[in-house]
Amino acid sequence: MIDVQNMSKKYGKLVANDNINLSVGRGELAVLLGPNGAGKSTLIKSICGLLRFQGTITINGQENNTVEAKRLLGYVPEFPVLYPMLTVGEHLEFIAKAYRLEDWEERGEALLHRFELDDKKMKLGKELSKGMQQKVSVCCALLPQPKAVIMDEPLVGLDPHGIRELKAIIAQLRDSGCALLVSTHMIESVEEDWDVTYIMVKGRIARVCHRTDLEVGQSLEDVYFNITEGSQEDRP
Amino acid sequence: MNSLVFLLLRSAKNTLLELGRKPAKLLLWVLVIAGIGGIFILSLFTTRQSTEASLDLVWLKGILFLLILIFVVTAIQKGLAKGDVIFDMNDVNLLFVSPVSSRMILMYGIVRMAKMAFLAGFFILFQSNSLSVSFGVGFDGVLLLLLGFMLAVGVLQILSLLIYSLSNGRPRRQMIVRMLAIVAFIPLIAYTGLQLVKTGDLLLALERILESPFTDWTPVAGWASAGVISFISGDLGNGFLFFGMLLLSGILLILYIALSNPDYYEDVLVATESAFEKKRGLSEGQINPEASSTKKIKLAKTGIKGLGPSTIFYKHLRESFRANHLGLWGTWSIIMILGTALFSWFLRGEDGGILVLLQILMWIQIFMIGTGRGLKEIYMHYIYLIPASSFQKIVWSNLEIVFKVLVESVAAFGIAGLIMGESLGLILVAILVYTLFSFLLLGINYLSLRWTGADISAGLLLFIYTIAVMVIMLPGLIAAIVIGSNIEGSGVLIGLGVLALWELVAAIGCFTLSKGILHNADMPVLRTGN
Repeated sequence: MIDVQNMSKKYGKLVANDNINLSVGRGELAVLLGPNGAGKSTLIKSICGLLRFQGTITINGQENNTVEAKRLLGYVPEFPVLYPMLTVGEHLEFIAKAYRLEDWEERGEALLHRFELDDKKMKLGKELSKGMQQKVSVCCALLPQPKAVIMDEPLVGLDPHGIRELKAIIAQLRDSGCALLVSTHMIESVEEDWDVTYIMVKGRIARVCHRTDLEVGQSLEDVYFNITEGSQEDRP
Repeated sequence: MNSLVFLLLRSAKNTLLELGRKPAKLLLWVLVIAGIGGIFILSLFTTRQSTEASLDLVWLKGILFLLILIFVVTAIQKGLAKGDVIFDMNDVNLLFVSPVSSRMILMYGIVRMAKMAFLAGFFILFQSNSLSVSFGVGFDGVLLLLLGFMLAVGVLQILSLLIYSLSNGRPRRQMIVRMLAIVAFIPLIAYTGLQLVKTGDLLLALERILESPFTDWTPVAGWASAGVISFISGDLGNGFLFFGMLLLSGILLILYIALSNPDYYEDVLVATESAFEKKRGLSEGQINPEASSTKKIKLAKTGIKGLGPSTIFYKHLRESFRANHLGLWGTWSIIMILGTALFSWFLRGEDGGILVLLQILMWIQIFMIGTGRGLKEIYMHYIYLIPASSFQKIVWSNLEIVFKVLVESVAAFGIAGLIMGESLGLILVAILVYTLFSFLLLGINYLSLRWTGADISAGLLLFIYTIAVMVIMLPGLIAAIVIGSNIEGSGVLIGLGVLALWELVAAIGCFTLSKGILHNADMPVLRTGN
């Protein structure tokens, strides 16, 4: 569903992403890990068509900047940015009308209810806390029922209820056949559900790890630290 | 070395070293310095020639008085809300918790604040030539203007801090501050009313008001403007007296804060945190000023119309009408229309009055076009992800500003044309030139973003955009002047028509060259330099 081939992104002389190859199939949860500055957000923004790049990125076989690809894509950005003069309800209405959605109201209500935003429907974007903005951002991304969902640090700023709900939503989306690419620093939050993990270091994918690749007793965290800091034997 | 002196010197040194690593920034500074040098040389040649034709200095005093008056009102408002920003968040996190005297830290903040005051008055240097031509003011006079402006802004920043410190969370004291602010202007207001009734002539009344001691002794704005004009006209005694008043009030305010309230950290914290949040919001894509506004919003109507990309336009309408009662036409529109009407009143009977207005408004529009919601939209991810063509999204996203500009120009040039008794044809062609110019500016904005990939600082992007406007307009202006001056009678009308045609062609060219920007460009990030 999400296919990245030989993708590179440069900012002047700085190579943020260097020849990245990545794919996420239907019903698959791919996790993107890496230290700060590894190039995860750049990769995610490129997949969502917010940055120019070299290489090929397709969503369900369509170039990522085509209208067809955009119709299939949902994006939760790293920093939630809402329209300060629109209410929470109007944010959903805006997305619904811009995406030409039909019968979206009930779905919108259900999403707001899951994130305990029912009573905030008439609140303006500027009146919300950072965490609530993040919840609205997630609702906006999921309202069009995308087939490919990309989330950049989606759990940051959420309260425990929000974290629990989002984790449940991620699992449900995966089970319903949606392709998910989630970038996070909270490895334990995806430990239960991940299918494949891409560990990025200095703009490159240093390791692709499938769940089946794990040895007995080995956790995703162990794999991550082995790649980013060397194996335990190597560490001082 | 004292830690604070080290901090100031090292910051200055690192800023200079950074220029070596960023050639674009270095080039920008070289151009700015070269520009100031050029203005200086130009002013040396123009001062003596224009002495006889220049306007009375009393009008310069009036302009400076009004300019500083805006800062006075802002300082009082800021003081009553959350104080002025004299520290950065890194000062709060690192300096405030360090074992350095809070009074020394206050002095450090005030030294840094002087830099901000200089930057606020930087634009005065660029007025050197017009000041020289209009008022016979040389470069030394321009420097005096800058000094007076800096002193006034500096004093007002400290005053704002003091007002916040004394009245924060105390409604009664806030009321007293408001009343004192009004009382300080009562003599001037009373004298203004008296002169208007007595003379019955607006210009004569204004002249008498500006020459009166009521203006000179109005706090800060009066002292600064009277001091500057006294020095320029050679009245050193009054110059030293009024600048002395400014300096003395600044020193007394600092002493009061330092001696009475060494624990001022809490007082400056709110403003510093708010400023920091604002900067962080900008770098994260939240560039709508409404996001940080504390204005209470009434939700009279809700809902968004439209379908597909047209939803963007209806969303803009909802946002604009919610942000202010006049919808697309805010305070600026009213100032523009009233200002144009007032200006045209003074230009009555003069040849080419509407051309002067057109020129001024076009200059202002270069920088005002960015306030439209369409251009702000490209700093947020939503517009990129909406499944519609880039062209459709751009058109619907900017429809609001085009509509706004069209109505503004019809009102401004319509009223101005009536006051000045211009022909209907000239009024219509002025509206056309101004509206199409705005259309062209939108195109140049997108082209600048497309060409640079938006991967540069906001300041440099603004610089490139301004240069691009001048370069793109030049052929049209030359053609308009050449064709217009060779035709007897209706030369101006035809010249403006040629200019409008050029704007249309150039705008279409810019939009064509920036085609697909939403699907093939980096989403810009506003770099605030921090």
